[in-house]
Amino acid sequence: MPTETRTAPARIAVAIGVGTLVVAALVALALVSPAPELSTRAQDGLTLALSVLIEALPFVVLGVVLSIVMQVWVPPGVIERWMPRNPWGRRAVLSLLGMFIPVCECGNVPFARGLMMRGFGVAETMTFLIAAPIVNPIVIITTHQAFGLDDGVLIARLLGGYAVANLIGWLYSRHPDPNGLVTDRFRAACAIAESDTGGRGRRSLAQFVVELRAVMPALVIGSALAGAVQVLIPRETLLAIGSNPALSIAAMIALAMIVSICSNVDAFFALSFASTFTPGSIVAFLLVGPLVDVKMLALLRTTFRTRVLAGLVVIVVLFAAAVGGVVNLLV
Amino acid sequence: MPGDRTLAVRSPDTRSRTFRTPGLRSSGFRSQGFRSRGFRSLGIRLLGVGLAAAIAAVTVALAVTGRLGLYINPDSAWFTVSMAVVALAGTIASFALPLGAEADHGHDHDHDHAHAHAPDHAHAHAHDDAPARRSRRPAPAMPGLAPSGRGIARAGGIAVAGGGVLATGIVGAMLLVPPATLSAELAMSRDTGAAPLFQGADVVALAATGDTASFGVGEWASVFATATNPEAFEGQQITLTGFVTPAGGGFGLTRLVITHCVIDAQAASIPVGTGEAPATGEWVTVTGIIRDVEGSLRVQASAVEVVPQPEDPYEY
Repeated sequence: MPTETRTAPARIAVAIGVGTLVVAALVALALVSPAPELSTRAQDGLTLALSVLIEALPFVVLGVVLSIVMQVWVPPGVIERWMPRNPWGRRAVLSLLGMFIPVCECGNVPFARGLMMRGFGVAETMTFLIAAPIVNPIVIITTHQAFGLDDGVLIARLLGGYAVANLIGWLYSRHPDPNGLVTDRFRAACAIAESDTGGRGRRSLAQFVVELRAVMPALVIGSALAGAVQVLIPRETLLAIGSNPALSIAAMIALAMIVSICSNVDAFFALSFASTFTPGSIVAFLLVGPLVDVKMLALLRTTFRTRVLAGLVVIVVLFAAAVGGVVNLLV
Repeated sequence: MPGDRTLAVRSPDTRSRTFRTPGLRSSGFRSQGFRSRGFRSLGIRLLGVGLAAAIAAVTVALAVTGRLGLYINPDSAWFTVSMAVVALAGTIASFALPLGAEADHGHDHDHDHAHAHAPDHAHAHAHDDAPARRSRRPAPAMPGLAPSGRGIARAGGIAVAGGGVLATGIVGAMLLVPPATLSAELAMSRDTGAAPLFQGADVVALAATGDTASFGVGEWASVFATATNPEAFEGQQITLTGFVTPAGGGFGLTRLVITHCVIDAQAASIPVGTGEAPATGEWVTVTGIIRDVEGSLRVQASAVEVVPQPEDPYEY
């Protein structure tokens, strides 16, 4: 800042004061909410989008905080020392990391960015990103609550999620140019994170600002999209094809990509379809939803190139359809 | 916040104003670069911390007025609210970080896609606080970029800006529009005719023991759909509140049931037999008796009273 010449403590006090006023003004505005009500359909869309945001924001904040901890506060080498050297072993361990990191899929994105900024490989981080939303204690508990061990839904979901994550990690680890997988914007953010030499507090704040900038617009637009699609696409259209073994899988995959429900609770949502849909299609829903729904794709786009996302969608959808087909044949 | 920069951002006639900044006098290119830098720094704050703070503010305001249940299951409210408070505290703290300090080097690269930057970065880091350096972007810094590349870069920039404006508008609407419940129309489109199984088997087991005092529409709908011994419920008295949806031989008493947040809301409905059905979407309290009509259960209403929408319109 060329124009910052005042002494630091005074400037910080003023800035904090201004910040407090701004935050107080925002809360006051939310309390008053002076705008008129909208038409029914627009209001429903807005309500749905806002509920996704209210639900997801705490996890995003937690993810950003964990990413700051990873990037700024954990000394270099501490985590790396515990990692196996063999690439398959590393990916296998990373895909179990979700068991210990209490964030749902929205929080995983900033956390994964923190991993990459620390120097983890792109393919390794993708393994974590794909596995964590499924191989995760909360998801295991809620899926078990919803389905028990019936029809192999829980087992197929866990093993399928673990396998597809390692498959994707392996495929992309063979990519000749790993840097070409991520966006320029993310590479720039990494360069800043590496080069920053300020105090830890300052670096933490900078990371807070940069990570929220990366994630928030995508989250908002993804949520709005999820809300709009729910209001605009009639659900009967999807349900009409529910009982056909092959078509039901396609329909549930489409539904999973559209509704964008957190992986923590999608099992309960899927349960309401269990009576009309085949078990394989439920498994496909539970595999695709946490990984590549519209909200997640918008979030992943902050970090990965469109080409990579297209590949990801194709692999996940084909894999889920295959697992669903096998479940339908066996059960 | 540095005064000159803010002025440069807010004023439509920026070019002449930025001339006041020492060191940028000589070149129109440079002042434009400077202005877009300041604009971008503000944009980073608005689209990151700003959006997060607005949603956190909405969360806190809803929690304070006891209306968070309109959006999420109150069971997880403690986590949602405490992380919202963390977000707001972080927002306040972030004001202590000078505008632009979070990205003094990297965001030069927002627009020049598709070519290598590594040497560029190393170069920029050494000079991060020199104003002349920050404005070098448009002119000689990217000799390798063809005009078409520049066009693509510009299109990318416009897309990013458009997305930012859209996201800001959406969050602005969320901040300004008063909270609301989902409409009865949506509930009807959600009602797929599938049995609402979300309650699980324990509800039906509980119902068999006769302990149904705490049951809402959701629990009863589960029981109605899955009970294997309908005759056990014959003659049971109930009083339930919900809204009216169309159904044969009377109306459906409907409630939206939420597991986590309203996006997973599912309609639960029980058939009510009555002479005259109230208008669709109206909230009513039904008093009546459960009847076993040839193996399928329905409520025979003795009284249907129109009531205002309850404060907690969802079941969880």
